[in-house]
Amino acid sequence: MSAILKTQKLRVEFRSREMRQAVKVALAGLDLEVRAGEVFGFLGPNGAGKTTTMNVLLGFVPPTSGSASLFGIDVRQPIARQRIGYLPELTYYYKFLTAEELLRFYAKIFGLPRSEADKRIDQLLKLVELEHARKRPIKSYSKGMQQRVGLAQALINNPDLLILDEPTSGLDPLGRMKVREIIQRLKDEGKTVFFSSHELGEVETVCDRVAIIHQGELKAVGSVHDITGRHASLEKSFLEIIGFQTQPTP
Amino acid sequence: MKNIFAVAGIVIKELYRRKDFYVLFIVTILICLVMASVNIFNDAKIVRYLKEICLLLIWICSLVVAVTTTARQIPAERENRTLLPLLAKPLTRPQLLFGKFLGCWLACGLALLCFYVFFGALSAAREHQWPLLDYFQAATLHWFMLGIVVAMVLLGSLVFAAPSSNNTICFVVIGGILFVGRHLDQVALTMHEPLRTVVDSIYFAIPHLELFDVRDLVIHNWPLIPWLYFSLALLYALGYMAVFLAGACLVFRRKAVN
Amino acid sequence: MNSPRTIFLLLVALLVSCFGLAAHLQPQFEAWRGSRAAGDIFNVVLGDSRRIFANSFYVKADEYYHSGYYPTIFDDKAAFQTAHMAADTGAVNDKNHGDEHGFLGPPRDWIDAFGRHFFPDRHTHLDEGGADDDLSGSENVREILPWLKLSADLDPDNVQTYTVTAFWLRIRMHKVAEAEAVLHEGLRNCPDSYDILFELGRLYDESYHDTGRARNVWKLALDKWLKLDSDSQKDNRLIFEQITTHLAKLEEDAGNLSEALNWYQAAQKVSAAPAALQARIDDVQKKLRAFIPVTPQKLY
Repeated sequence: MSAILKTQKLRVEFRSREMRQAVKVALAGLDLEVRAGEVFGFLGPNGAGKTTTMNVLLGFVPPTSGSASLFGIDVRQPIARQRIGYLPELTYYYKFLTAEELLRFYAKIFGLPRSEADKRIDQLLKLVELEHARKRPIKSYSKGMQQRVGLAQALINNPDLLILDEPTSGLDPLGRMKVREIIQRLKDEGKTVFFSSHELGEVETVCDRVAIIHQGELKAVGSVHDITGRHASLEKSFLEIIGFQTQPTP
Repeated sequence: MKNIFAVAGIVIKELYRRKDFYVLFIVTILICLVMASVNIFNDAKIVRYLKEICLLLIWICSLVVAVTTTARQIPAERENRTLLPLLAKPLTRPQLLFGKFLGCWLACGLALLCFYVFFGALSAAREHQWPLLDYFQAATLHWFMLGIVVAMVLLGSLVFAAPSSNNTICFVVIGGILFVGRHLDQVALTMHEPLRTVVDSIYFAIPHLELFDVRDLVIHNWPLIPWLYFSLALLYALGYMAVFLAGACLVFRRKAVN
Repeated sequence: MNSPRTIFLLLVALLVSCFGLAAHLQPQFEAWRGSRAAGDIFNVVLGDSRRIFANSFYVKADEYYHSGYYPTIFDDKAAFQTAHMAADTGAVNDKNHGDEHGFLGPPRDWIDAFGRHFFPDRHTHLDEGGADDDLSGSENVREILPWLKLSADLDPDNVQTYTVTAFWLRIRMHKVAEAEAVLHEGLRNCPDSYDILFELGRLYDESYHDTGRARNVWKLALDKWLKLDSDSQKDNRLIFEQITTHLAKLEEDAGNLSEALNWYQAAQKVSAAPAALQARIDDVQKKLRAFIPVTPQKLY
C-alpha cells in the first residue's frame, strides 16, 4: 500500500523570544508513513509534538528541515489540502452562521457544485445527527453539537484522508461512541484516518497502527498488537515507551 | 476567485447579522429627523444644514463600521480558532486576506447605499430635486475612501496586538489625515530641518483621504467633478489599497496561525 | 474589622456624613448659583465655552454664505477678518483686505493641484448666485440662518448676530415679522444695544413705512449711544453716522427740513466722507431757502 502521508527527517524548531532567541526543538527528525485505507493513531504525552506535526502537515507551520507530503504533494502547496479533511481540537466556528451555511461555505471553498453540495450537506447532517438543528445559529449549540458540526465540515469534501486532533475531547461517552462509529464507517469506505488522542482505550479499539512520539522524537511505530507486546494494555506499554516508571503495586 | 468571494460572503453575512449597522443607521435617522423638525424662521426650504448634519453622521458611522468590522476579522478568526479549519482547506493566506478585504469593503458599500438613499430622500423632501450624478460621485468617492481605510485597518490587525489598539490607532490616523492631511506641506514650511523633511515625507506618503471628502460640493450644489479627475481619484484609491494589501500579505505570510 | 456588621455600620456612618455635609453646604451653593440660575441648557452644559462655539457657528454661517469656499486656519485670512455676510449689510466696519478670490494661492504641489477639484474653489456669495451662479436664487441666503440662530442661542450677548440675521431675513427673505422677532429677542438680551435699535428702526421705516416708530426707535438708539464714554464713542462713529443720516433722511422726506439739516450736520462731524454729506446739506439748505414762507399781504 502506498503512503498517503509521509514525513522524512522532519525537523521543526521554534525560537523563544523570552529566552533570548533560545531554540526549542518541537520535532527532531520525524520519519512517519501512513498508508492508504488505515486508521492511524498518533499518540504522545502533552507537548510531545503531535499538534506541531499536524500543523506542519496542514501547512500552518513551515518545517525547519526535512519534508512532509500528502498524496505525494509537498504540504506547502494548497492543492495538497484538496483531498483532506481536518478537525482541530478546539473550535467554535462562526457563531452567526447556521450549520447548513457553514457547510455550504466550506463546500464553496472546495469548489463543489451547488447540487452536489446540497446533497452532501444533507448526508452529513444526517450522519452527525444535526438535521433538526440545521437552521439554528451555531452559537446556540452545545459543545457536543459543535464537535459534530466540526466533524461534518471535515467530511464536506468527501476526503480521502482525515486528520483529527483529539476528536473525542470534551465529549460524553455517547458522543465518543458515535465518533468511533463514524471512524469505523470511514475505514470501511476505504478512507484513511490519522488522529491523535489521549483515550488509549479508543485507540486500541479502532486503530490499525499507532505511533508514539515523545519530546519530538518517534519512539515507536507499529500495529496495536506489536506495540502492546508483553504488556496487558496499550496504556502500560505507552508509559514504558515514554520512560514513565510505574509504582509497583503493593 | 471563488474562494475570495466565499470568504467575502461570510463577512457580509456577519455585518447584517450584527446589530452595529442597524443601531448606527437608526440613530442617524433619528437625529436627522429631529434636526429637520426644527422651525427656523418659518422657512421650510432651508436644507443645507440638514444635508451637512446628515452627511457628517454618515461619514462618522461609515468609518465606525469600516474600522470596527475590519479590525476584528483576523483576530476573531484566531481567537475563535476558526482560522485553522479555514486554512486547512485549499485556501491560501492571500486569498483569505483578499476575501476579508472584499467582504468588508462590499459590506461598507451596502451600508453606504442605505445611508445615501436616506440622505437623498431627506434632501429631496426639501429641495425637490435629485442630483443623482452628484450623489453618485460623492458616494463612489466615499466608498473608495473606505476601501483604503479597510485595507489599512486589515494591515493594522496583523501588526497590532489587539483589535482595540488597532481601532484606536486607525481612528487617530484617519482623523489626522482628514483634518490636517491637506495642510501638512504648509506646516512643514514653518519647521526647520530635519523635521521639515520628515513632515514633507509624511505628506507625500500618506493616502490623502480628504480628497474623497466632497461633502461641501454636495451640500452647496457645486457642479460635478470632472470625470477625468474623478477617475484618477479612484485609481489613486486603488493604488493605496493595493499597497496596504500587499503589506498585509507580507506580514500574514510569516504570522503563526495558532 | 472585616465583619459584615462593622462594614455596614461604616457605610451608614459615611452616608450620614455625606448628607450632613450636603446640608451644611447647601446655603453656600444657593448663593453661588451664578450662571446656573439662568437655567439655560447651553449655560449649564458648556459654561463660558459656549461663546467659542457661538463664534465658530457664526463663522460657519459666513462659510455657508460662500458656499463652502472659506479659508482654514492654515490659509491667508486677511480678506475674511470681517464676515462678508455682515460686511454686506453695510452696518459693520469692514476690516478686510487682500485677495478674497485667491486666498489659497497657487498650487503648492501636484497633490494640492489635484485636490482643488474636490472642494469649492471659487469665491461666491449666496445672494449673488452662489455656487451654481443662479442669480434668481438670491433667497438661497436662507441657508446661513440656522447657524446664525444657533450662534445667537449660544451667545445671546453678541449684538452683530441679531442685526445680521434680521438684515437677511428682511432684505432677501422678505420675512419682516421674523426679522422683527429676532431684533426684539436681541433687545431682551442686550437692552442697551444701539445697533439693534438702529436695525429695528430700519425695519419700521423701510418695511412697515411707520416713520413715527422709526423715528422714536432711532432717537432711543442715539440716546443709548450718547451714554457711551468718549473712547467708546470714537470707536463707534459709523453707527452714529448711520443713525443720524437715517434720521435726517426721514425728516427730509417728512418735510421737516430744519430737523433734517441738524441731523446731517451732526453726521458730518463724524463721517469718513464729509464731502458727500456736504452735498446733502447743501441740497437741504437750498430746499429750506425755497420753502421760506411769504407773509400774506392784506388785499383790502
